[in-house]
Amino acid sequence: MKHNKRRISKIVDELVVYLFNMGATDININLKEKKDYYKIVLTSNYTVKDQEKIEKMIKYLKCGKQEEMEEYYWELAGDCDVDTELTLVGMMIDKAEIHTSEDTIKLVLYRYK
Amino acid sequence: MNISKSIDAEKKKENTIKVIMLVVFGFSLVIFGFLVDTPKVIIQGLYTILTEPDTLITDYIGVGGIGAAFVNSGILTLIFIYILCKLKINFNGVTIAALFLIAGFSFFGKNLLNVWFIIIGVYLYSKVQKEKFSKYIYMALFGTAMAPFVTEIMFSTTLPFFIRVALGTFVGIGIGFILPPLSTYLVRVHQGFNLYNIGFTGGMIGTIIFSVFKSYGFLANPRMIWTTGNNKILGIYLHVIFLSMIGIGFYLNNKSFKNLKNIMKYSGRLVTDFVMLEGFPLTLINMGINGIVATNYILLVHGDLNGPTIGGIFTVAGFGAFGKHIKNITPIFLGVFIGALTKIWNINDPAILLAALFGTALAPIAGEFGWQYGVIAAFIHSSVVLNVGVLHGGLNLYNNGFAAGLVAAILVPIIEAFRKDEM
Repeated sequence: MKHNKRRISKIVDELVVYLFNMGATDININLKEKKDYYKIVLTSNYTVKDQEKIEKMIKYLKCGKQEEMEEYYWELAGDCDVDTELTLVGMMIDKAEIHTSEDTIKLVLYRYK
Repeated sequence: MNISKSIDAEKKKENTIKVIMLVVFGFSLVIFGFLVDTPKVIIQGLYTILTEPDTLITDYIGVGGIGAAFVNSGILTLIFIYILCKLKINFNGVTIAALFLIAGFSFFGKNLLNVWFIIIGVYLYSKVQKEKFSKYIYMALFGTAMAPFVTEIMFSTTLPFFIRVALGTFVGIGIGFILPPLSTYLVRVHQGFNLYNIGFTGGMIGTIIFSVFKSYGFLANPRMIWTTGNNKILGIYLHVIFLSMIGIGFYLNNKSFKNLKNIMKYSGRLVTDFVMLEGFPLTLINMGINGIVATNYILLVHGDLNGPTIGGIFTVAGFGAFGKHIKNITPIFLGVFIGALTKIWNINDPAILLAALFGTALAPIAGEFGWQYGVIAAFIHSSVVLNVGVLHGGLNLYNNGFAAGLVAAILVPIIEAFRKDEM
């Protein structure tokens, strides 16, 4: 697959932009390349107490893996700050976990090789 | 919370329903074709359609008759449904949009002969990249917009027969081969605010190839085959199809229009797949509504229902699964309408009718920034689209997609600079 590393960084870009829009001021990113997959972990605070945004995030990330969509549109991820491309992120990952507490959100995404 | 990505039995069942619906749609085109014309007329019409150039605007209803045009569209749609099933593609919003685009443009430019060269080019690209062809299938489907290059070279040049065929084949496959990397790259230029990205890409490729051709004295012959007088029969078919979509969607949505307003909340910017986000029943209702609106726009402005306008109407309906809804397309119609009041053409001139229908590629601008920006975008688009066709000699069928890409690329950064909303 061409530009695989750039695609991973695009996923991170998109998530960071979304977290900023949730009022994040402290974002930690941990990216690991394992033998069979990439693991992206983002831990962030959020000040915008907007449950709708979290629900939207879950809904968008639920979109099934779509290699053919990724191949066509992956360049759009992380490129726009007036709209979200989280649906595309959902299509680019295989598994996701979302943990939220009062003021912290933790995202764990897996993308198999 | 863990987000599962497994395809459960329910989703498989829904996918089967989607495929059945699209097959029924494909057959409806073929059956309608045989209802209005005899088999003999249809076969003769198909032969004429396949062996004539397809430069914009070539109305297949004028070339081969209503029956042949519908049969060409129906068979091509059914073949592509079969290919998608063989490739085990999960049918989503973009799949439906691509198939409706194929069905629509099979009324004025795509036919059973000329589309395969582009498809083969994309297939060869996937093999060179050592990837599955299925990964590039949408680029291949949308990329068939460039098919007129093949027929123009094969049937319109004065070169010896074998050279014409060889050159047409080479150019068609070559365009398909370079389409995937370019379409992925160029989508960033308009940030997904132009829904017809391949139209923009095709316009760029077409401009360069046509410029080279012109240097060797090759000039595409402009065509203007535009039929009139079929509004009643075609209007009935379109209304039956779109009302059926609304009815079936209503039935599948537990006999209700519940949550339909959720679709209107999306800007429609790429990638907004309504099937994935809101489900197939609501998407079907939305597609039907879009189709009804587009059809009645043409009838209200006293335009003609024919091959090209049916192509536009199918495109508006098809993209009802992938970004368009009544809230973001209405400002586009309004913008083109206002343009026609102040500019030097009439609202029901052929090119302006197509500008209104295909200009809905810019619907995400209205959806994201507000209806007034959609009106402005459409107002500008209706002028731009009349000037860019000459760049590729009318050989890129998605000429409106090309123009919309240019408009979005110029307009979006300006709008964003002065009006930045939180997502």
